[in-house]
Amino acid sequence: MQKKVIIVEDDSFLQGLAVSKLQKEGYEVSSASNSDELFKILETVKPDIFLMDLVFPGLGGFGSIKKIKENLVLSQIPMIIFSNLAEDKDFAQAEALGVPANNFMVKSNFTLEELVERIKTLVK
Amino acid sequence: MTENHKESRSLEELVQANELKSNLISISAHQLRTSLAALKWILKMLLDGDAGKLNSEQENLIKKGYESNERMITLVGEMLELAHRETTAGVAYHFEPENIVELIDETVFEFISESYKKGIELIFLKPDTLISPIKIDREKMRVVFENLIENAIKYSSREDKIFISIKEEENDIVISIKDTGMGIPEKDIPLLFGKFVRGSNTASIPGTGLGLYTVKTVLDQHNGTIHVESTPENGTTFSITLSK
Repeated sequence: MQKKVIIVEDDSFLQGLAVSKLQKEGYEVSSASNSDELFKILETVKPDIFLMDLVFPGLGGFGSIKKIKENLVLSQIPMIIFSNLAEDKDFAQAEALGVPANNFMVKSNFTLEELVERIKTLVK
Repeated sequence: MTENHKESRSLEELVQANELKSNLISISAHQLRTSLAALKWILKMLLDGDAGKLNSEQENLIKKGYESNERMITLVGEMLELAHRETTAGVAYHFEPENIVELIDETVFEFISESYKKGIELIFLKPDTLISPIKIDREKMRVVFENLIENAIKYSSREDKIFISIKEEENDIVISIKDTGMGIPEKDIPLLFGKFVRGSNTASIPGTGLGLYTVKTVLDQHNGTIHVESTPENGTTFSITLSK
């Protein structure tokens, strides 16, 4: 069965590249550009993994992660933060919300292949 | 308004200005990284043949583009780190009496495998006598040694040697990092510790020109000094002096 990924990314160009790569790898991808779209999708889709940017309209990344983590079911779903925010305070905030440092990938430091490899280790 | 109030207000203004600067840096770095990430992913897809097979000339050119983009990504990271260090200069340093021989030993250990791979001998000539503990910010000082050792490896070739030594004088501790590498042209030496400065003979070796600037910044915070002696083709010695 196809594994489901929800990607939240407000840069349409990066979103397009990531979606196309993930689809080629056989994932079913739903994409959102802001938190409203994300939570709308979650009304009908239960993903196997979240791929979250941190800077996007609405609640933003950390606000959205907090809301996800407050939901008993959604909080169990693995999550990768895929962002270009990369300061110590961002890593600390992610860790505090239950996203460990090895699931915090700085976009400019990883290729999409490396992202897919990471997803494969988390979704089996 | 009393003098105390004035001081307190100007300090508040400084803190606010610092926060604004810090936010601006974060936003700029985020935007730069976003564009660089897009370029990285596209070039990688082309290299992987996702848009069709490349001929060797096309592959070679795109590889160069990819490598250049990687250097820019490193540069953005280093600029961000540097800017933060400047923003927090003076408040982020924690000075404690430390065993500096142990710190150098740890740092040398980090680079053993890299120097071995390049065929360079990296030798820490440990002192025969005990060196007194010295008040330093251990992690900042580690960055100093890392930068200097990394440079020594980077600008040396197979069969070159790097010697690190330390001695205690009456009022100072002097650490020297000597390599038998390519050396620095005399005209470059006065500019060496400036921001974004790279030696005129280093064009083919990747670097950002921020390493020695960082070294100098950290040593300034320790009231330390650094001195360079170099002969092109014969090597370079950096000597750090820290007051006890």
